[in-house]
Amino acid sequence: MTAVSNLAPAHAVASLRDCTRRYPGVLALDNATFAVAAGEVRALLGKNGAGKSTLIRMLTGAEIPDTGSVTIDGVELSGSGSTRAQDSFQKGVRVVYQELSLVPGMTLAENLFLGRWPRKGGVIRYADMEAQAREAMAQLGLDLPPDRLVAGLSPAERQLLEIARAMLGRPKLIILDEPTSSLAAAEADKVMAAVTRVAAQGIAVIYVSHRMNEIRQIAHSATIMRDGRIIDTVDVKGADTREIVRLMLGSEASQAAALEDRSQPGIVLEVHDLALAPKLSSVSFSLRQGEVLGIAGLLGSGRTELLQAIMGVRPFDGGDVRIGKQSVRSAGYKDMIARGFGYTPESRKEEGIVPLLGVDENTLSTNFSGVSRNGILSSRRMAEATRKIVDRLHIKTARTDTPIGTLSGGNQQKVVIGRWVYAGSRVLLLDEPTRGVDVEAKAQIYSIIRQLAAEGRSIIFVSSEIEELPLVCDRVLVLRDGTLQDEFKSPHIDQDSLMAACISGH
Amino acid sequence: MSLDHAAKPAVSDKPKTARLAFSQHMNEVSLFLAILVLYLIFASTAPGFISFNNQVNILRDAATIGIAAWAVTLIIIAGEIDVSVGPMVAFISVSLAFLLQWGLPTPVAFVVAIAFGAFLGAISGVLRAYFDVPSFVATLGMWSALRGTALFVTDALPVSIGRNDMLDALDRSVFGIPPAAIIMLVLFAAFAFVSRKTAFGRSVFAIGGNPHAAFLSGISVSRIRVGLFAIGGAMAAISGILLVSRLGSGNATAASGLEFDVIAAVVVGGTALSGGRGSMLGTLLGVLVITLIGNGLVLLGINPFFQQVVRGLIIVIAVLANIQAIKRSLSRNKG
Repeated sequence: MTAVSNLAPAHAVASLRDCTRRYPGVLALDNATFAVAAGEVRALLGKNGAGKSTLIRMLTGAEIPDTGSVTIDGVELSGSGSTRAQDSFQKGVRVVYQELSLVPGMTLAENLFLGRWPRKGGVIRYADMEAQAREAMAQLGLDLPPDRLVAGLSPAERQLLEIARAMLGRPKLIILDEPTSSLAAAEADKVMAAVTRVAAQGIAVIYVSHRMNEIRQIAHSATIMRDGRIIDTVDVKGADTREIVRLMLGSEASQAAALEDRSQPGIVLEVHDLALAPKLSSVSFSLRQGEVLGIAGLLGSGRTELLQAIMGVRPFDGGDVRIGKQSVRSAGYKDMIARGFGYTPESRKEEGIVPLLGVDENTLSTNFSGVSRNGILSSRRMAEATRKIVDRLHIKTARTDTPIGTLSGGNQQKVVIGRWVYAGSRVLLLDEPTRGVDVEAKAQIYSIIRQLAAEGRSIIFVSSEIEELPLVCDRVLVLRDGTLQDEFKSPHIDQDSLMAACISGH
Repeated sequence: MSLDHAAKPAVSDKPKTARLAFSQHMNEVSLFLAILVLYLIFASTAPGFISFNNQVNILRDAATIGIAAWAVTLIIIAGEIDVSVGPMVAFISVSLAFLLQWGLPTPVAFVVAIAFGAFLGAISGVLRAYFDVPSFVATLGMWSALRGTALFVTDALPVSIGRNDMLDALDRSVFGIPPAAIIMLVLFAAFAFVSRKTAFGRSVFAIGGNPHAAFLSGISVSRIRVGLFAIGGAMAAISGILLVSRLGSGNATAASGLEFDVIAAVVVGGTALSGGRGSMLGTLLGVLVITLIGNGLVLLGINPFFQQVVRGLIIVIAVLANIQAIKRSLSRNKG
């Protein structure tokens, strides 16, 4: 591995010197020294919580280091609060976040200058604005009429428009946060071409991504972070994926104890060549009874889309889903529930819970008739049925009718899983069930999943947290470039290979 | 460890929601106090306010708003709105009058009228549930079309029904209490029960609180939405029947502006317009507030135009005070 020589501060557009930032209980940034030069594209890699976001916030002035200094364009950032952020902005630091911030009902030009429209006496000078917009977009190879509505743009075009917006006012450094995570491969190429154009104008680019093929195409070097520290900065050309994975993961216990495989020969679900443009091109696998099947993949690899297609929530373009010999391609969501399937969504807050209602109603909503007599809900039965689930899944709640919004994330998630246990589902599709859940609750959720499998239920466990897959899964499939690329079987599921399989290129 | 980069904080807003159960009662307690205050003020200033006859009047007026308000409460809890109540009542009253003129037996005419109301409500429901037309727009269309049709076919003239014993009986007090009030209270009990004790009622709360989660739990969101608007239509139809019994005719111009009284009563009753939260008891108290204000101002002999000003002010102040009381109890509980 060839380490890139530390750039002399004179060339650096932006740099951190010995920056440390401590949050209660966490060292978010540990004595980090970092510099990026004009015209350079620097990839930034690291698992969740490695300190990438903190480093970015240091550069934008959103955070102040406890010790150390941040220098932008040769001047050290001073001040605090919003003045620091303004200072950084004026010196030319721009960030393009994953969540797009465009107004769909307004035109490209209006979005580009959102809130800062060129005007005269309160009237927007459209001709002027559109001419400027056309020029700004042309710089990135985005050739679209500026009076078109954003609503009609493809995801890649929207991302390019965001970058064009960041390019206004001659910035020095542009930070892109997983700009291609929501894009299919062909679309991602357009964004990468634009990034290359940006760098060619002498602007420094920090590119947060985990797709190694993209990084190899556009970045000169890659900085790898772990546990708040900058581990190394490597020359992308010379580094191989395994080596980068090793730097990202460190020497953590890379193999979990073998799980007791209770899966039985019966196949409960078969997926054949499932296609769903633009994310999934051909996905095939089968799920056995009593098996915990993990699906690993980067953000935007189509994990959620796959589960939703199986469940009948999202129509798919080709292929087939079968239960036994029967195709359930045209089955709707309610049919799938009736066939013993249960689905827990990725975003618990938006799609999982009804916060104002009690734990009982959030659990029992999958089958109210199970706790009714002659169509009337029985308080006693509701409390009993909920108590059973609460005890089984170790849900911490004072009462069964406590509003679920008052519970911790982990306990909310257990309720969301519990509602399918209550409904008697045989196949559970869990999309990121440990997202936003504390460590203790995570461990409990793992053991709940193992226990449910031991009872003969089959589980598909989708996760972007590589290290939890070996703890829970009998088998892990890696979703990349629209298909399942690799298969790992317990006990041969190790984090390094999994991560490498997720991030490596075509 | 994660490949995802986005921060995923484990959010728990414990203090806030834990007090909601309490503030829900806060809301009803403060409404009850408001009613007491209104009684005290009107009893001491408005001549004849406290008389038995006037109490009966208040109950009868409350029935007009209340019966429709029970259904609208559920609709608003589900995160929807129904503005077609007034024209629906008038339209059904006209329809019933024609049905009776054509010689349909009265009980059959009642059933047909209620079924027709449910059908018309269901049209709004289907537009909302299956075609994604916002319920405000769907029911606004209904509002205009129903009033227009009723006026068109009657030339804005009352449609008389002649002598009808059954309808007369509906307007004859039982032990001094008008049947409309009894029907209102019976329906109130039914709605309170359904909203708390049936899968349908709880599903309504779930849909209003989080439609995505409700759908993913397997709740038939679309069917329940259609059902809600059908119930809304049926309740308006019952109001329409009572209107015919009171006036002795179908009237295309009747119940003008009723929808605003109904929505005001529901909102004053503490039901959130954003959906997911509300109670039947709150609406009952809200209906009483709205009715008392109307009744008291008439007895005080205040200029009818100015009455509207006072009523508007009182409604806004009531809701404002309610919100403040809930906020205060929240912050006090946070300590």
